[in-house]
Amino acid sequence: MKLAGNDMLIQSLINEGVEYIFGYPGGAALHIYDAIFNQKEMQHILVRHEQGATHAADGYARATGKPGVVMVTSGPGATNAITGIATAFMDSIPMVVISGQVQSHLIGTDAFQETDMIGISRPIVKHSFTVDHQSNIPRIVKEAFYVATSGRQGPVVIDVPKDLTNPDDLFDFNYPDEANIRSYNPPIKPEENQIDRVIEALKNSKRPVIYAGGGTIASNASNELREFNSYIKAPVTNTLMGLGVYPGTDKYFLGMLGMHGTYQANMAMHNADLILAVGARFDDRITNTPEKFAPRAQIVHFDVDHSSVSKIIEADIAVFGQVKDSLKSINEKLKLESSYFNKDRFSDWHNQIANWKDAHGLNHDLYKNIDDKSPILPQAAVQQIYQTSEGRAFVTSDVGQHQMFAAQYYHFDEPRKWINSGGLGTMGFGLPSAMGVKLAYPDEEVICITGEGSIQMCIQELSTCSQYKLPIKIFNINNLALGMVKQWQDMNYEGRHSSISYEDSLPDFSKLVESYGHVGIKITKNSELKQKIEEAFSINDRLVFVDIYVDPSEHVYPMLVAPNGSLENMWLSKGKKT
Amino acid sequence: MIERQLTLIMENKPGALARVVGLFHQRGYNIDSLHVDPITDFKPYEFIERELNIKFQKNEVSRLIIKTTVGDTLMRQILRQINKLIEVIAVSDNDNTYLKGILRDENLL
Repeated sequence: MKLAGNDMLIQSLINEGVEYIFGYPGGAALHIYDAIFNQKEMQHILVRHEQGATHAADGYARATGKPGVVMVTSGPGATNAITGIATAFMDSIPMVVISGQVQSHLIGTDAFQETDMIGISRPIVKHSFTVDHQSNIPRIVKEAFYVATSGRQGPVVIDVPKDLTNPDDLFDFNYPDEANIRSYNPPIKPEENQIDRVIEALKNSKRPVIYAGGGTIASNASNELREFNSYIKAPVTNTLMGLGVYPGTDKYFLGMLGMHGTYQANMAMHNADLILAVGARFDDRITNTPEKFAPRAQIVHFDVDHSSVSKIIEADIAVFGQVKDSLKSINEKLKLESSYFNKDRFSDWHNQIANWKDAHGLNHDLYKNIDDKSPILPQAAVQQIYQTSEGRAFVTSDVGQHQMFAAQYYHFDEPRKWINSGGLGTMGFGLPSAMGVKLAYPDEEVICITGEGSIQMCIQELSTCSQYKLPIKIFNINNLALGMVKQWQDMNYEGRHSSISYEDSLPDFSKLVESYGHVGIKITKNSELKQKIEEAFSINDRLVFVDIYVDPSEHVYPMLVAPNGSLENMWLSKGKKT
Repeated sequence: MIERQLTLIMENKPGALARVVGLFHQRGYNIDSLHVDPITDFKPYEFIERELNIKFQKNEVSRLIIKTTVGDTLMRQILRQINKLIEVIAVSDNDNTYLKGILRDENLL
């Protein structure tokens, strides 16, 4: 079969099983868009800004585990995609981004809409390809998908000069069955003797903690992790990226750890004698001061990425490979030794943790006893959303206080249901990522918990939701200020609130969303909270935007004391430290 | 902090060198000196062909020699980060060689 470059590119994507392309056309991508027009297998989703395309593809990838696909033009199309690529890179999300480029003979001449996309994206991609000849397109696409989805996953950019997609130049098209990159060889099988050392360490431990992160979700190892803990019955904490990989309502679950982690999770980590890190990378929001991190713990690190192990915290035992394979292999052995870990083995440790939880655990019943004498607590708003959605929704989020409240008070029992920008912390992520999730799962409840700051960073995508009829529910935790920045200014800058207020310039969000054809609901007092959130969930054919005015003075607690603090140094409420 | 020499074997492709140099900058490491040329004599590198089950052709791969001044822990991190680059086939310092998934406790390059 002979095809032109533009058709080769599109046929290659079809061969990869792509359902949706999130993108925005432009000069350098015109031939490619003509090829999109001429096929029926994939749907192109026209966003309103390329950042929205990358986040939508990212949300799709996080929810499904399949790579998200983005199509942008050269120059500003490419640079607008950068924030979304960096977001995916930091959280190891599989994504393939195809950027148009000016014609080959114009490269390097400062041509119209020319930018060095390969150069600009280099530090934030797992790998990138420049198409140098049409006949290489099938191989490059195959390799791009392989690299994006194998090993430690991540975004891959393919830069395509316009002349190489010219519909008049035909070449043989053969799509390869598999990619073979001789210099790329992601680790496969965990080493037996390391697995044995982990089991030995477990047998000698009195205070173990499982610390599972996003890598466990990426590896689809949630079931293996649950099976693992069915044998050893240890307390489990999840990172912000890992929420849902272990059931949030399980009796062994401690809640999230780290900067805004629960008291019991941080105390358990600090006092543990054995930490089993599973697909987690000891990020600075987790360790606080690395020298003071878990001083009595032996560290076991399961990870697919060699360079993640002993990067921040030295591992005593390292198990390389997909955590799914490693956990399977350890489960095989534990199955035969389950009597060793009978239910009383760690009972002192569980009792200690229960005491911590009783002393300073989160209050999950704030939504119950409320009246109109006090303003709505943002925590209670999230709790009511959790109750009304019965904990079953996909929840995307933005960045700030609302994100932390969502992570603390919405319990996720399944992986891939909590979708947020953990590593890069990208405001504007919530709405477009919810679009990607809703397209992947049109029959599931998809909600976006956001704030009035974050939502305005990609608010143009309300129009996309209208075009493709995406009935997402957006809960705007509106505290009339950039709440997390304000919290830091309260705590570290004696309340000098520098540039965190919009004064009286906020739009009337209800009117705004109604102008796009969506439904707007406003909640200003506690007595309306339950009934109006229920009203929002009763509407399933249109996008509903619920603007919830909350107490602007609330802070997120617990909060690690920094700098120079350890995991046991926390602010528990305003003015009260451990 | 001592001066160390790293040797890399990598695909001779456009942009590959920029990835290595860029990585030093991104991760906050400094390059003291850098030398790169295509490999014509593969005799010393037959063990790579054997271990990775591949065959080199003339001018297909390059050898990079980088000098940098860092401590032990950072050196290990640099090696692992470089080894992760898709176009790098092997990398050594004085004590270790990474051949993609394979680690050897000696300088083989």
